[in-house]
This record gives sequence, C-alpha cells and structure tokens, in this order.
Amino acid sequence: MRKRLGILFWLAVAYLVVLAVAAVFADVLPIKDPAETFAGTSKQGPSLTHWFGNDGVGRDVFSRVIYGAQVSLVISTVGTVLALVIGGLLGMVSGYYGGRVDRWLTAAMNASLVIPSLILFLALVLFLDSEAKRRIFILVFTFVLLSIAPIARVVRAATLSWAGQDFVLAARTLGARDGRVLFREILPNVAPSFVSYSLIIMAGLIVVEGSVAFLGLSVPPPTPTWGDMINKGRTNLDVAAHISLMPAIVMFVTVLALNFVGDKLQQYFEPRESVL
Amino acid sequence: MKQAVRDQLGPIVAAALLATIVWAWFWRPPFSWTFGVLVVIGTVGAGIADGRYALRRLAGVIPVLVGVSFVVFALMASLPGDPAINILGPAATADQIAIVRTELGLDEPFFNRYGNWLGGVLTGDLGTSIVLREDVADGISRSMTPTLQIMAYSVVIALGFAIPLGIWAGYRQGTKTDGTINNVMLGFLATPNFVLAVMLVLFLSIGGLSVAGNEIGFRVLPAARYVPLGEDVVLHFKHMLLPSLALAMGQAAVFMRLLRSDMIATLRLPFIDLARSKGLPTRRILWRHALRPSSFTLLTVVGLTVGLLIGGALIVEFIFTIPGVGAYIFLGVTQRDFIAVQGGVLVISTLYIVVLTMSDFLYLALDPRLRGREVGARA
Repeated sequence: MRKRLGILFWLAVAYLVVLAVAAVFADVLPIKDPAETFAGTSKQGPSLTHWFGNDGVGRDVFSRVIYGAQVSLVISTVGTVLALVIGGLLGMVSGYYGGRVDRWLTAAMNASLVIPSLILFLALVLFLDSEAKRRIFILVFTFVLLSIAPIARVVRAATLSWAGQDFVLAARTLGARDGRVLFREILPNVAPSFVSYSLIIMAGLIVVEGSVAFLGLSVPPPTPTWGDMINKGRTNLDVAAHISLMPAIVMFVTVLALNFVGDKLQQYFEPRESVL
Repeated sequence: MKQAVRDQLGPIVAAALLATIVWAWFWRPPFSWTFGVLVVIGTVGAGIADGRYALRRLAGVIPVLVGVSFVVFALMASLPGDPAINILGPAATADQIAIVRTELGLDEPFFNRYGNWLGGVLTGDLGTSIVLREDVADGISRSMTPTLQIMAYSVVIALGFAIPLGIWAGYRQGTKTDGTINNVMLGFLATPNFVLAVMLVLFLSIGGLSVAGNEIGFRVLPAARYVPLGEDVVLHFKHMLLPSLALAMGQAAVFMRLLRSDMIATLRLPFIDLARSKGLPTRRILWRHALRPSSFTLLTVVGLTVGLLIGGALIVEFIFTIPGVGAYIFLGVTQRDFIAVQGGVLVISTLYIVVLTMSDFLYLALDPRLRGREVGARA
C-alpha cells in the first residue's frame, strides 16, 4: 500500500518554496524598499498598492515581511544544518558504539537539556553582547547548541535499532571498517527520520528567533524581523492591528507549514505509528 | 562487599540532599512552599514506588546540580568588561574600582570565588544585585510567586483541554472528529506563544479588528498588570486568564497528541474488551479504565515542559507586564547585572531538575508494571 502525501502537503511545500524564493530574491523583485519611511500613509490598512498596509512610520509592511523572512530563514536553516551534522554524528556514534562512549554522550545531552533554552540564550546575549553584527553569529551558535541534543537523541534511537540488524552484522563480518558501516550501511536508513525531524526543529528555531526578536534582542533595526514587527505593532494594536497581525499570520503559516510537512514526511517514511 | 557499600551510599547522599534543600530554603516562604510541595510529592512517590531506585535517582541529581552551578558561574565570570566599572560608571577612579573589586571578591582566584559563591548559595545567599541594590534571593523569591502562578494555571488549563480532547480523539480514531481535533491542535502547536498572546489581547481585550465600522472581537478581559492573589481573588484570576491561556494552548496541543496515541494503544488491549463485554458504559471505560494506563507518557512530558514554560513565561511576563522571574532575569540581562542573572538562572535550572526528577517518581508510582525495573529516565 503506497501512502499518499495529499494536496495539503504540496500546498505547504509550495508556500515554503515561494516564501524562500521571495526572501532570496527580495532585492531584485519589484517590491518596495523596506526601510523607506512614509512610502504611504502611516498606519493605513491593506490596499492594492500596499498589500499588507503600512506601519506606524509609513513603511510598507509587505516588503518588510519579505525582508524579515531573510533573517528567520537564514538563521533557522544554518542553525538546523549545523545542528543536524553535529547532532547526527554524535547520535550515530553514541548509538553505534554503545558502552562508555554512549553513557558519557547521553549524560552530556541530558545535562544540556536542563537549562531552559530562552534563559540560556539571554545569558549568552549578556555574555557576548557587543557589536550588532555579531548578534547573528550568537543567534546561530545558541540555536545550534539548543538543537544538538534533541537531534542526537532521535538519531541515537534510530541508529540503535538499525545497528542490530543482520545486514550490519554481515557488513562487519565482511571486514568493513566502522566508518564504512556507519556511513554506507546505517546512515541511509537513519536519514529519513532525521530529515523529517529537522523540519520540525527548523520550525522551532523560527519560533525561538521570533521570541528573541520580540524581546528586542535579535538582529537589531533597521533590519526587519518578524518578531520585532509584531512587538512594535503592539503600540498601535487598537487603531492599526494589521501592523502586528500581518507578520504574525505569515509566521504562523510558515511554522504550521514546516510542522505539517515534517509530520507528513515522518508518517510517509515510517511504516509504524510514529512515536514521540 | 562493594555492592553493600553502594547500596548504603544512595540513601545517605539522598538524605543529605534533602536536608540541604530544606535547610537552604526553609526560611524563604515562596521557596520553602515550592520545594516543600515537591519534596512531599517525591517522597510519597518514592515510597509507593521503589525506595532504592528513587534514592539512587535523587543521588544522581547532585552532580547535575553542581555541574549546572559551575557552568552558570563560569559563564558569568568570563563576561567581558570589568563589573566594577559597570557598577561605578566610566568616571570611576582607580581607588574606587579597587574597593568595589575587593567588595565583590573579584581579585581572588576563580575557584575560590566559585567556592564562596556556592557556599553562599547553599545557605540561601545569592549575593546582592548590582543594579537593584537588593538581596538577589529576596528579589527572586518575590518574583517567583507570579511565575509559579502562571505556570500552574497554564498546566491546569492545558490539561483541561488536552485530557477530554485526547480521550475523545483516541476513541474516535480515524473519524472526522479525530481529524478536526488534530488539525486544530496542530494549529495551536504552530502558534508561537507571543503571537497567541498578542492575538488574545487583540480579540478579547481591546475590541479586535474594526471592519467597516463593526468590531470583530470583545472587550471582556483586562490586558496587563498583575494583581496579587491576596489582594483581590476575582481580579487576580481575571488578569491571569489571558497570560495563562497564551502559555497553555501550545502545551495543550502537545499533551493532547500524546494522550491520543497512548489512548489508541490502550483501547486495543484485551482488558478493554472485557470491560465492554461486562456491559460497562463507554464513558466509564474511557475515564476509569483506559485513562490511567494511557497517561504515563503524558506525565513525564508534563514534567519536561516545565522548562519550556519557563521560557514562555518570560515572554508572557514581558507582554502582560507581570513582575515574575522571567522579567527579573530579562531586566538583569538588559542592565548587565550578572549577579542577578546567575542567581535567577541557577534557581530556575534547579527547579527544573527537581520537577523532572519528581515526575519520574510519579511515573513509577502510577505504573506498577515498571517498579523494580530501571526506567529510561526521560526517554
């Protein structure tokens, strides 16, 4: 029985692709300058010329949302990829070798889950706060730190179940080295579960970046970020709710789409009822 | 021989830990209140379940706590810039700086400073805040009450949504009802709590959107300000409802999904068929027979999400201007008050670890099948 991914899945994928393309090519697309104040009437609602309306100082909300996507997507993608490489490697080593290596790595992973993420981030901002340019590196660094442990745990569990299979034993009997067994035999089997999981991690990172930006600690203005737009819009919530509402909707749909695609892929790859 | 010694070690260390916690926090009302409740739950759970396992787990908590305290201290100690200059301002003379450095003990070697600080922490002394000029332990215990209230209310609200919906969706697995509940909850899962908070304020507090002169929304709940429980009970809950809801819905989705999948597994077991064939009403089977064996994973996860809730509480406190621990730490960060930040982070991490351990015990107490066996602590 071949499972179908469904039309909603492809809609979500299409949305994500459109958003990513728009963010990447924001400079060459015919959209307004996100920094230009009084490009239209201040606090004006959505219209044909300004799709998402204008904010408190008359900047175009739509183009600011597109440029804000750059920050969210770059930080979450880079963070996820790095975490995937490091966490995946640690998880595979931990699950494959077992014994003392496994015990130490698992202990370290559990310990790193102990400090609440946002609090850790705040401490790091205090630690490394200096020029605004470095803020983006701190963000990525923290996000990698935060997502290594969850990824490593998932990969470790998957590796554990594959490492006991007959074909792994066969490869080892034939004299394959550990590296070859890990990368040629186990990795292809483990990969689906962590690729789909990484989308969910990515959605999580977008939320964390949003929270941090909301608190005013992400990439500083004038670079637009979704979280910051939502926060600044709160002062005009009673007269011009769209200033907060539009970035909030885009962020919601993005996170929902990523979660949905990740969920569906997991069900697609995994024949069993997926376990948390 | 060695085994016998090891068996004795667990209880002794655990007893020492308990004594330390009680001694350190006893005289600070909100702390003693929190930790008192936690210790009682833990002890009762351990007693019902498996005494030796519980004590071993408790003993295992100590190195984690020491490790966390070290990381927090090292992080704060390696901050760039001289804290003395931060306190005095750039116009300070060298003499003044020297005096403040001695006062803060900054000239001593790193490990001495760590030892002094840890010694202070064990006696409930977290130092004096640089900016607020106030005892950090006092400041945190004052801010602890609103944070604990928000967290407690939101867990209650989340479970209030998750349990009935999880049971219902699990029972009607694969139907339209199940699908609808799942999709709505996935929606809440994808809503960051600050977005939800802003939306709740918009639609429940300030009248919502106005389209063609009509308001789509309500003005029923106040948006910000904290009213202590002791001051006015009704106003307190009115003000806490929006922040707690904003924090609760994401958790409700996680809880509901877990309970649903465990419920599905339980409903396939033979004892459910037996209950059915006895002619028991469905409602009774679901709530009395199936809920308990389905709720174990849920319980551990409730413990795990406390960490998430603390992060979320920070945001919610920021939006609704509630003077909680998150707000306290945030203020410390923005004003570079490292003593307040390290105290706050340490207290929150400790609380988190303790809750996590306690939820493991509760797990054992509820599921007799696991007793006498090692449980994967947080699998």
